Amino acid sequence: MGTFDYLLQGFETALTWYNILFAFFGVLIGTAVGVLPGIGPMSGVALLIPVTASITGGLPQEQAATSAIILLAGVYYGAMYGGSTTSILLNTPGESSSVVTTLDGYQMAKKGRAGSALSISAIGSFVGGIVTLIAMIALAKPLSAIAIKFGPAEYFSLMLLGLAAVSGLAGKSVTKALIMTVCGLLIGTIGIDNVSGIARFTFDLPWLYQGIEFLTIAVGLFALGEVFKTILEKEEDDGEITKINNLIPSKEEFKESAGPIARGSLLGFFVGILPGAGATLASFFSYLMEKRISKKPEKFGTGAIAGVAGPETANNAASGGAMIPLLTLGIPGSGTTAILMGALMMYNVQPGPLLFEDHPQVAWGLIASMFIGNLMLLILNLPLVKVFAKIIETPKKYLIPIIIAISIFGVYAVQVSTYDLLLLLGCGVLGYFLSKNDYPIAPLVLGLVLGPMIENNMRRALTISDGDYSLFFTRPLSLAFLIVTALWLLIPVLLKKRGKDVVINIEG
Amino acid sequence: MDVKFDRFASVAFLAVGVLFMIGSRKLASSSYGSSVGPDIFPFVLGLVLAALSIRLFYEAYRSKRQEARKEKLEYKPFIIIFLSTLLYILTLETIGYVITTFLFLFVCFQTMERNKWVTSLIISAGFSGIIYFLFVNVLKGTLPGWPIWFS
Repeated sequence: MGTFDYLLQGFETALTWYNILFAFFGVLIGTAVGVLPGIGPMSGVALLIPVTASITGGLPQEQAATSAIILLAGVYYGAMYGGSTTSILLNTPGESSSVVTTLDGYQMAKKGRAGSALSISAIGSFVGGIVTLIAMIALAKPLSAIAIKFGPAEYFSLMLLGLAAVSGLAGKSVTKALIMTVCGLLIGTIGIDNVSGIARFTFDLPWLYQGIEFLTIAVGLFALGEVFKTILEKEEDDGEITKINNLIPSKEEFKESAGPIARGSLLGFFVGILPGAGATLASFFSYLMEKRISKKPEKFGTGAIAGVAGPETANNAASGGAMIPLLTLGIPGSGTTAILMGALMMYNVQPGPLLFEDHPQVAWGLIASMFIGNLMLLILNLPLVKVFAKIIETPKKYLIPIIIAISIFGVYAVQVSTYDLLLLLGCGVLGYFLSKNDYPIAPLVLGLVLGPMIENNMRRALTISDGDYSLFFTRPLSLAFLIVTALWLLIPVLLKKRGKDVVINIEG
Repeated sequence: MDVKFDRFASVAFLAVGVLFMIGSRKLASSSYGSSVGPDIFPFVLGLVLAALSIRLFYEAYRSKRQEARKEKLEYKPFIIIFLSTLLYILTLETIGYVITTFLFLFVCFQTMERNKWVTSLIISAGFSGIIYFLFVNVLKGTLPGWPIWFS
């Protein structure tokens, strides 16, 4: 069966009434998450995993997994649309990938062009989303075909590469990022070892035998951590929402933004595929590129529409691109995709080269639903942008306690254990202090999700080679991955030594 | 960046790394059919963590003492909300979801901002009631609903 037939089947899955509903709620909640400063896509997705798990509980497993991932992915790319709204109207980015949009977007709003800025960013996001989807469909088969030839040694090295890439770009200090990664990997070793059946680091507590659930850690560190930050560092709400008038951009504005949108789609897509470089970096690069090739670079920062169109397209394209390594290789390249991967694994669906063969319904259903979701977002964001702008006015007084209540409800509904709730609360406090002191959290979650898989592949590889570690260096592909891993970690350090500014990724 | 925190953290991470190394020494070093046991991976990771934390200590030691940003942190609401969350968690299974959630939300709402207590009451009651109804009656999930001495 060809790609096209699979895609048609995917549409069949995505167009069942409940999946349309799931996609709709996903993008709706995603847009809200994007609009609300304080909840990033990562905590949004993490918070919704338990909720979707309980909603899909009645469906057969494969369908449940499809519906859940459709909703969760919807939150992820929906947040990319929503983030621009507050950047433009309030000068406060809803999430980190929209930081650069404030530069020109807010200036445009001040000049009374908020409507055009919003609609151009919605159109750009849509184009970016569709371009990456088409690329994803084209790449899915060939990439899985390559990946399926990987042995355990290659997988081990590839996963190390993924971890190194995320850690190398994750924060101000590579040391801190690596520490967080190793901590994640170590937490992953707690529980029954699934090769030998021996309990590790459980101290004979039955609660620890299953291992520490990634969901508890992710919700605690991200969602509760951010909540505690908002409580402790109370910010005065300032700024008035700029009035939106005239949503339709003029002809010149369309002309000016066509180029940036096209370049942003391609750039965002490639940045998105790279592990570690996420939507934030993509939007940042796009802005720099547009400024460099523009004929009037001095206009940037004073309300140039290219400075809105490019980055907004790029961040959405990148969020789609980031799905490619996740779905085809089983290697998440960012915090949010790591959480999506954890969600899939909760349903016993293993992302990777076999996903397209073993679970075509999940893979193609998701891809098809992303077409539908993007279309919904375009419709939601154009006429309804005024409604969403109102969400910003949700008083923190009600929002913050409700987020805590949803976290507790969610974790309890899935885990049914008070210990997990205590761990959740502990992680929340820890998450606040860690991110306050520049310890990035995304690498920890990535390590926790990938840890057991890295260990299994390492041990399988070593069992094949009878304990000979040189295997990782003699197999050419594995060696290549390891070299790239080493370079990825060393080059930023060397550049810093030479006094250059290294671009870092601050995702959620 | 708070240098003090980094120093403290590096010592803590060092301890965690060493403890994992000691812990993995106690595990079997081989498993059936393989010379690679469950101890190697955590042992190596513990070693790496210990090495990284020494590097972190060195970095924190070398970095110039930066003037700590003086921020006004709102400790009082945080402590109240933290304690009520803790109490909420600990009493959830005995008193049940509906009552604890209602009380928790109401206390937190009023801690965040002390006004409009009627709205707070309505939202807390609505949230706890609707979530419980949807989850237990519509989705057929399990939640401890009411105090154990009721049933």
